[in-house]
Parts: sequence; structure tokens; C-alpha cells
Amino acid sequence: MRKMVLSALAAMMALTVSAQERRELHILSTNDMHAAIECMPRLGFVADSLRALYPDLLILSAGDNRSGEPLNDMYEIPAYPMVSLMNIVGFHATTLGNHEFDSGQRGLAKLIDMSAFPTLCANVHPDSKWDMHVKPYQLFDCGGITVGVIGAVALSPLGIPESHPDNTVDIRFTEPLAAIQELRWLREKCDVVVLLSHLGFETDVQFSKELPWVDIIVGGHSHTQLKGGEMHNGLFITQNTNRLKRATHSTVIVEDGKVVKCMAENIEIRGPKNENKVIAELVRYFSENPAFHRVLAQVDTPFETYEELGCLMCDAYIAESKADVSFQNAGGVRYDKHATGGFTVSDVLRLDPFQNEAVELTLTGKELVDMMSKCYDNDNRVFPYVGGMTAEYTIDPETRALKGIVLLDKDGKKLSQKKNYKVVTNSYTVAISNSKRKDAGRGIGRITAQLVMDYLEHQGHVSYQGVKRLTEIKQ
Amino acid sequence: MRLKINRVIVEVFEGAEVRHALLMYLARRRMSMKLINQLTVCDVWGHEIDLDAPVSEHKEIRIKFKGKK
Repeated sequence: MRKMVLSALAAMMALTVSAQERRELHILSTNDMHAAIECMPRLGFVADSLRALYPDLLILSAGDNRSGEPLNDMYEIPAYPMVSLMNIVGFHATTLGNHEFDSGQRGLAKLIDMSAFPTLCANVHPDSKWDMHVKPYQLFDCGGITVGVIGAVALSPLGIPESHPDNTVDIRFTEPLAAIQELRWLREKCDVVVLLSHLGFETDVQFSKELPWVDIIVGGHSHTQLKGGEMHNGLFITQNTNRLKRATHSTVIVEDGKVVKCMAENIEIRGPKNENKVIAELVRYFSENPAFHRVLAQVDTPFETYEELGCLMCDAYIAESKADVSFQNAGGVRYDKHATGGFTVSDVLRLDPFQNEAVELTLTGKELVDMMSKCYDNDNRVFPYVGGMTAEYTIDPETRALKGIVLLDKDGKKLSQKKNYKVVTNSYTVAISNSKRKDAGRGIGRITAQLVMDYLEHQGHVSYQGVKRLTEIKQ
Repeated sequence: MRLKINRVIVEVFEGAEVRHALLMYLARRRMSMKLINQLTVCDVWGHEIDLDAPVSEHKEIRIKFKGKK
């Protein structure tokens, strides 16, 4: 009898030990939030709820936290609202997305300092002069589970993340896979190794073949909506589409210091009403930002037509990107009147609300004419506004078909058909103007509204009354 | 930068998003730009992607009208 009791006790102890060794790590992850500050109260609520169930919840962002919402991106300290909201939600770490570099080196360094969580990116090495505190990895103790989190960001063919090249000067970037492999030793130190990847889903799948020592990739960049997560080459990958439509709750089961199972579910963020009220109040505060009423320039004579405002925008593109000529689709100029007095940040965002990127192309005179002709066809048959030149165009009065365009420089001379011109326009215009051209163009990493703001600030005073650069020739 | 949309290859500017590629696709096919909001976009694996996704991360996408199987 005594033997039986002892063996039963031993069995129970063995079971207890076994139960103790089976542990769960819970991760709440987001990616490509793109400053969807309106969703942060709901994300806060989800984080609070999961934390109540799992006190050691790890909250991670796979980058691109900013860029996409003027309330955030044009705050006095650009992108500070998102950092502040992420601090309150309780993020433990973020990696750098390519759009984090939109803040510029000093801006990014400041945001990292203001973050209550580390910024992890193994393939980014800022020069010490930027004082930018980026770490390759960080270890977290999640209820006795040691979790190593490594960050990495995708590089364009130029060897830098997709942002304005000026924003990456004096930052050294290395190939992501090699940088991650250098941290292989983390496997020995950790129960769970997480790659916080802003590399894109396809790259994550490719890398999964090379990274058997990593347990889970929390991915971003390609805005790929997975159903929870997917197993590729033995590595579990998660990712969501952008702007906080969903977040991912992953459960990683660890037995005897080894990951034996990963599961994930999507949590809807947009829509449901429950929210963290403190965060909601802070979002309201950021939304009533007085910085949006900041006067950029004085308007000396009133704007009275779409063309006058279109000319202002085109002049801004030229001045701020040092182009020869510019044009702007007519549909992208959203109002036609502005009284004398202050031209504010809010006025610019109403004039150009689409967050289109400025795109630079090198075009011959002929290619420019062809492109503007296609722009006319696909923009409700309204001729685009121009800068650095004037345009005479002929329209068939019955069909409204464009019959011809003559572009003249500032001296009234025809633009050469063969000469190359540096042209700047917006990304929408490039997309709808499907003409043949040798140069497909490249985004300059700044939205057109920002160029207009910079231009107004540099000018101080503007007067466009009576400015007319388009002449319709009657047949 | 090139992207294959269904069977059509479109060349887009560097830094373009999926929405720009779709607008080029619609323009080339002489379809209304407004149709962009009626399209469902997926990667080659069949995962839904959104219009703001960077083209550089996708070599090929598939589109279909919403609600169409």
C-alpha cells in the first residue's frame, strides 16, 4: 500500500513537472499601421483584454508605424502622436519600416528616444553623429520564457529602404539575411526566437529556408493578409494588411525549452466599438491639433480659379524638387477660392488631400506632350495645370477629344521635342497617364502636399491673381 | 519596375503602390479609373493585399471584381 501511494505521488510529481515545462507565449502583433491613429483606442482595448488573460503578453510592431495620416505625420514633432499612443498601448518593440525614415535622421532619432520601447533592426547601422539608438535585437523575459526578438528592414535595389535618399545619408545598411544570420547564437540563449520583419511576405518565405533556428516571423511591408499565420519550411509567419484593419494574436507553445506549436488568429480592429478611453481622449487631443492652423504664407491677392491654385501647386513642385517643368492633374486641385490672409497647413491638406507622392521623370518634349495628353483623357477630359511652362491645346468641340498640344517655355519658345526635361508631377497623374516613355519615373519620398507647404513657407507671401498658363485654341 | 497583373505586365515608377499599377492597368485597358474600388487584389499565394501595398514586394498580382468567383 505504501509503495502504491509513493508511486502515485511520484507520477503526480512527474505530471506537475511536465505541466510546468509546457508554457505559452502570447504575442499581439501589428504591421504597417501607417498612422491609423483612429484605430489606436480599439487596439488599446484589445491589448488590455489580452493582457488581463495573459499578463506576460508581448506586443510587437513590424514597422511602418507612421506615414499615411497628416494628423500624425505633420504634427509639430512629426509622427509623435503614434509614438505616444504606442507607449500607452504598451508596445514592447518595433522594427524600422522603410517609412520610419520619412522622419529624417534627426527626426527618427528623436522619436526613438521618445519611445518607451526599443527599436530593433539588425541591418541598420546609423553613424554615431545621429545619436540614433537602434539595436539589432532584444531579449524579453515573458513569464519565465526567454524571447529573443530580432528586427530587419527591406532594402530597395539602391541598397537603402524606400524613402527619400536624403533621409538615409550616413546610415549604413547591410543585407538583411546576413545581418540576421550573425545573430544565430541567440538560439542558445532563448526559448523562442522571433524575427520582426519589415521584409515582405515573399522574402519572409524565402528566408524561412535559411533560418531554421528562428521560431516565428512577425512580418510586414507587403500588406499581406494572412488567415492568422502560415507555416513555411517549418517557420511560422504572420502578417496583416495595413492601417490596423486587423492585428494578430499568436500563441507559441514551448515545451522543455523548445517551441512545439504556433497558432495565430486575426483580431478585427476597425469596426467594433469597445475602446480604451484614455487612448481615445488622447487621439481626440491630437485631432484638434492647433498646428494645423499654423500660417505658412500670406495670400496677398485672393485665389479665384482652380488654375491659379493649380499653378501654385506646380510652382511648388518645381521649386522644392528643382525640376524644369511640372504638371498636375486638374482633378487633384480640390477647391478654387482662397481669400487674402493666412494660407494654413489645413488649407494645404484640403487643397491636396490625397497623400500622393511626388514623382520625378526625365522626359523628352514629345514624351511630355504624350503623357499630358493621356492625363487629359483619363482625368475627365480636363487639361492638367502646368508649371515652368505654358500650354496651348486644341479640343474638338463636339467630342472633347484633344487634337493637339503646344508647350512653351517661360520665354515663349516651344519646348524641344528631343531635349530631356526633368518633370515632376504626382503619383496619381503618373499612374493614369499611360503613354510610352523611356523613364518610368521614381518617387522622391515626399508627398506633394508637403512640397506645397515647404514652398509656401519659403515664399512667405504669394499672389496668383490672374495667373493663366493654359490657353484653349478654338477650332 | 514591372508588375504582372493577371496576364498583363505594367511598368510603374519606383516607389509605386499597388493602386498606381492598377490605375495603369485600367488606363491601358481603357476602363474607368473608378473601377479600382471594385477590385479584389491578391498575391500569387491567394492572400488579399491592399491598394497601398508597395509594388516592389510583389512580382505578380491577381485581380478580380468583388463578388465574382
